[in-house]
Amino acid sequence: MTRGGRLAGLFERAVQAHASRMAAVVIALVIAFLWVPIAVLVFMSFADGGVLSFPPDKLTLRWYRVFLSNDAALDAIVTTLTISVPATVVSVVLSTMIAYAVNRYVFPGRSWLQLLATLPIIVPLVVTGVAMVLFFKGTLGLPDYISVVIAHVIRTIPFATLVILPTFLTFDRRLEEASKDLGADELRTFWQVTLPNIFPGIVAGGLLAFTLSFNEFVYTYFVKGSGDPTLPVYIWNQIRYNVTPEVNVISVVFLLVAVSMVLVAVSLTRVELLARR
Amino acid sequence: MAERSDAADEPAAPDRQNALGSSGGGRLDDLAAFFRERPRLRTLAVAGPPYAILVLFFAIPLLAMVVVSFQTGDIGGPWTLSNYTEFLNSDTYLSVVWQTLLISVQVTAIVTVVGYALAYSIVRFSRRTTLLLLLVILPFWTSYIIRMYAWINILQSDGVLDSTLNMVGLPALSLLYSEPAVLIGFTYVWLPLAVLPFYASLTNLDSDLIEASKDLGAGPVRTFASVTLPMTINGVVTGIILVFIPTFGSFITPRLLGGTSNIMIGMVIENQFKSAFNWPFGAAIGMVISVVVVALLILGTRLGGGLFAQGGEES
Repeated sequence: MTRGGRLAGLFERAVQAHASRMAAVVIALVIAFLWVPIAVLVFMSFADGGVLSFPPDKLTLRWYRVFLSNDAALDAIVTTLTISVPATVVSVVLSTMIAYAVNRYVFPGRSWLQLLATLPIIVPLVVTGVAMVLFFKGTLGLPDYISVVIAHVIRTIPFATLVILPTFLTFDRRLEEASKDLGADELRTFWQVTLPNIFPGIVAGGLLAFTLSFNEFVYTYFVKGSGDPTLPVYIWNQIRYNVTPEVNVISVVFLLVAVSMVLVAVSLTRVELLARR
Repeated sequence: MAERSDAADEPAAPDRQNALGSSGGGRLDDLAAFFRERPRLRTLAVAGPPYAILVLFFAIPLLAMVVVSFQTGDIGGPWTLSNYTEFLNSDTYLSVVWQTLLISVQVTAIVTVVGYALAYSIVRFSRRTTLLLLLVILPFWTSYIIRMYAWINILQSDGVLDSTLNMVGLPALSLLYSEPAVLIGFTYVWLPLAVLPFYASLTNLDSDLIEASKDLGAGPVRTFASVTLPMTINGVVTGIILVFIPTFGSFITPRLLGGTSNIMIGMVIENQFKSAFNWPFGAAIGMVISVVVVALLILGTRLGGGLFAQGGEES
């Protein structure tokens, strides 16, 4: 037996004997890798002092007070919401239509619709961002606000669709048949039977679309002109030009939004569906 | 009611007008009847609006980018290949593409190995899968820039990592603004994204096959190489595509963690649009990225990757 072969044999025996312990170590290490930076952000948001040095001399709520009296940051949150809320509503309506059409109807161009609704995930963000600024600004001359809302709608449609579509599949179609047997039309059946049944999926899709839109940076950065920044754009400028510990506080805001939205969404649908973005 | 008197004046379709005037439910019935008789119009009413919006605001802009990439300084000018020749004749840009490829390959390799090990450990050895999956994907839903900023906190000199190393008597690493920092940042943001397809394909794997392999005398390494990996290759390729493509086009991570020294091609595009204002040249580089990405997608589907197939499974 070669030396390499003996080593492989040793390795095999080690794996056989300690497999579950090794798995536990892998899980612990990777989860720690994913969560330690977040813990650091939260911890540093309480650090005193103007520069980011670790460990901090003492803990303070000072930067939270600074944040709450910083009009620029609060304005950025408002700007973000005025984009994210309408974009989410439009995106959810369109995604529900896509899911319904793809699931219920056979029509020419059906697979193209599916492809178009998935493709924004695959095309690199910078490419779509560039394409949008060229077309929205260069060709159509759309105003900033409209351009950004449309960009957010395109960005969120694939994810909302991926969450909403499966709820059409798991839903018991016999309820719809019963409704139609009792004399209801397709539209009435949709409002009174289908929609209430798929509503959790639609809410979950909406929460994720909102989270995505609230965090959206690349499309916004390219499409948006020099107007009021959204919160991610504001953070980008802060990080690049003058970092203060206040950025840690704003990070906590992002965290709270993401964690609360995703937890509610997970309570409404399958966890595996939420990972695509 | 005004509607009713209008309806009375309209003898052409008295039934419909009555229904319109009677109640909301009647209006709904009326609309339903209208569409029931016209199934193609009904399909168009549902599929048409999202179709139109995706074509107008997603597909056409991408085509517009192709057009603009063949123009010079002024958009709408004459057709030219000069953006492409300028790009291809520049050693600087080509070396940036090469460096971007190298970084993307390294990131994809690290994420694939670590992510697969994690997914495998969760699927085969853990019962709390939902909780663990949640812990994996939750960080993924917070802002990309915030996650990079967390690493600035950790990696900068005087940051969490160096201070901790100093405390235990080890030398500081000062990793921020270096290539390792960029690799760490990318690994951090894409790991959760890759774990999901790995996880899905491992869950679908019939564990009897693994038992059979072991009964036939294969050790764990042999079983992994000859059963587990080949049976989950679709998930692996999907994960690789999902990591490689966004890394190849990225500018945020190299800009924030790599400083100015580690240049990736996405940063060049950002510069053309945000500083140099040479949109046609930026569009041409966008085309270069797209060509690389499309080539890789084709290669990926040849290797059995199922980005669309998997979307189909979920749908």
